[in-house]
Amino acid sequence: MNRQQSIVAAHGLTDEHDRLIRADEPLAELQEACGGSLPGALAVPELLELVQQCRKLGLRIAREFSAFDGQDTVAGFVRIHPVDEGDEGGADALGGCAILIENWQSAGQANGNSLQGIEWLDASDRASAEITARLDARQKLQFITSVSADAQALVKAVELAPGKAWSEYVELAGITHEQPLHWRLLDGARARVPGSDRIWRVRLLPVGPASSAPRGFELLLITDQLLDEDAADGGGAEDTAPEHSRLIGSALTPVLRQPIARIIANAETVHARLAGPLRDEYSEYAANIAAAGHHLSGMLDDLADLEVVEAPGFTTTKERVDLVDVATRSAGILGVRAQSRDITVNIEELAEPIFANAEFRRVLQILINLIGNAIAYSPTGSDVYVKVSQETGDRATVTISDQGPGVSQDQAAKIFDKFERLGRDSDGGNDTGSGLGLFISRKLALAMGGNLEVLPSRSGDQLIGAEFKLSLPLHTAT
Amino acid sequence: MGKMAIDRSQSTLVDAILQDEIARGNRALRSLAPVIAHLLDSDGPSLVSDAIVARLRGMLRHIADQLLASLPLDAKNALIQSQAQSKLIDHLRGDESLVDHLYSVVLEGVLTKQVQQRVGVDPILSPLMQELIASERPEIAEVAMMALAAQSRFCQGQERMELPLGELPSQLLWRVLTHFEATELALHPEGVAGAVQTIKRDFDEAQSRIGLFARLASSMQGGAIAALDIGHAGLALFASATASLTRQEREHVVFACHEGQTFRLVLILIAAGLNINAIEGQLALLGGTRALPSGFETISQAHSQELLRTLTGPEGELS
Repeated sequence: MNRQQSIVAAHGLTDEHDRLIRADEPLAELQEACGGSLPGALAVPELLELVQQCRKLGLRIAREFSAFDGQDTVAGFVRIHPVDEGDEGGADALGGCAILIENWQSAGQANGNSLQGIEWLDASDRASAEITARLDARQKLQFITSVSADAQALVKAVELAPGKAWSEYVELAGITHEQPLHWRLLDGARARVPGSDRIWRVRLLPVGPASSAPRGFELLLITDQLLDEDAADGGGAEDTAPEHSRLIGSALTPVLRQPIARIIANAETVHARLAGPLRDEYSEYAANIAAAGHHLSGMLDDLADLEVVEAPGFTTTKERVDLVDVATRSAGILGVRAQSRDITVNIEELAEPIFANAEFRRVLQILINLIGNAIAYSPTGSDVYVKVSQETGDRATVTISDQGPGVSQDQAAKIFDKFERLGRDSDGGNDTGSGLGLFISRKLALAMGGNLEVLPSRSGDQLIGAEFKLSLPLHTAT
Repeated sequence: MGKMAIDRSQSTLVDAILQDEIARGNRALRSLAPVIAHLLDSDGPSLVSDAIVARLRGMLRHIADQLLASLPLDAKNALIQSQAQSKLIDHLRGDESLVDHLYSVVLEGVLTKQVQQRVGVDPILSPLMQELIASERPEIAEVAMMALAAQSRFCQGQERMELPLGELPSQLLWRVLTHFEATELALHPEGVAGAVQTIKRDFDEAQSRIGLFARLASSMQGGAIAALDIGHAGLALFASATASLTRQEREHVVFACHEGQTFRLVLILIAAGLNINAIEGQLALLGGTRALPSGFETISQAHSQELLRTLTGPEGELS
């Protein structure tokens, strides 16, 4: 049985309530794509069924399985073993199952199923749409319904001025073409709804027998963001996720900080041979211990931050912040790291300072994260540029660009996700982050009424690097 | 008065025997009509024959023997054992899904042998299996090697009318074990519980012959279509690959390979993506004598998948 480990593509472990408590990357991704979390209730219905069966039978079972992760059909051969006391899973896996998936493959929807797949997508969009409306054949809005609090402004606007084309009530992202466009071009677009901070996805589903000349449309506005992430939580009643107990920040961090600092200090002492002569490899081991310690302490800080940022009622103060000044300070703090990689951080001088209305230490935190990332992913000897400017719409922006490998469109789509590291584990240990930095930075920016985005890379330009833009409300009153 | 008492005890014993026998006779009479109807209905070869019935009987007996052998019995319990065996077989025989599965196992054995005799396909080492064993990917070669060993054990087992417990699908093994636990064996229940525990621990569906062939078919991914040729892949891999490509139960695919089920097989193979010429080749390999009516080539893959779903789904005759 242990002989074919090579064929296994992913391992996972569930507990006695069919919660997935451990999973390798592909399985973890599938779990998240199906709307689950890790650890959390197993969200892949096909696997859940098999795991339940395995627990009921108490037998090792083996099946082909396929699941739909929202884009592709994922298929594989899955083996599920009940884990009991005597097994390797140990006490933490009592009563659960071990999942082994072989021959993992992911393919686009097969031709024969594509129609069914589309129907399935439409059905799931209908089920999850928070704003639904009916349009006539010329895309004029006939009626709109929504129960979401942040959509009420839109509903009001429609009541006050009914009968206009739907695109006049919302702000379509990236589409400035004269409206209304052909419905197929608008299906899937992103939109902003007045009065809502969330980003909405547009679905236009034709109504009537012929999709070439529809009688009307179903308009669905769907968003992946929860209105109030924390208040809305608790829907999954079985999930025993603690309700913002501030466990890490208030209990764990203070207790762990000192021992970790001591480990790092001792390891660095050994590494520097301050305690006496030592063979090279032992010195290197000590360096590894120190690096791991740094990672751990950074992770602890990030998790504590995450807890604060995600806590209900998290707010920031408003004060006048000189953006060039903050950028200079951040660059100063990261000076040693930049020097060690021979990277220059250039901050563009301004004739007049630009002030944002934000919280100083949060802006500093964001810029340290962004400039730190730029330094980490740039080739040695390159330049990082920081530019502060003022934009229309009373916004102040800070743009950080580097000459690193840049951010592809795929990556841009998920770069701000929690724990997203974009496969950067493999770059020789340059980066030992927790995958939380950008997520926290973006949360902070949003909390201050601003935004953090990654700009599309300018191909054709000599410098194809990553470019991040932090925008904040401008401080107007002087 | 003493005499009377003995008489009565004897008569209760006779009563018991009578009850048993009459019940058995009733069962036989009830199932007579469908069996006769089937025999009268099929103009081709029948689905049941003495050879198949004998193999089914042998395998049921072997399963019961394995269950009893897992109990802590010694020679002194020989009487208990023989009584228990017939009780257990009675239970197992009543389980339709078990009998269905055993039937498909027997049929696969019979067909494998026929294909070998008719067109000389090696029942164990088909050309495709040879290729898979020589695969550049060691993990595929390894599974192929294990499947080969399992297939050779299977062929041997069929000759001896045996089926190891480990070769049952997990759900069926579970049912078998449930029957085992429900049978009154005049033994300590702990003995049965311990035996069930041991059997469960030793079981791994992925290591069974059907499990191994399913893994092999899954590891071939897109190449599984190469296995849709009995002459090239052998019946075992053919059945697994077809089941995997059409999402049918493997038992149904094996069943469809019976001479009398030509149209079912045609439908399944269209759904799997074969063209009508290739399908006629497969029918010839299986010794089909009925010519296909024209018009089959117009059935599209999607339509055949739809038909399969409706005709063999829950509302169809096979469920």
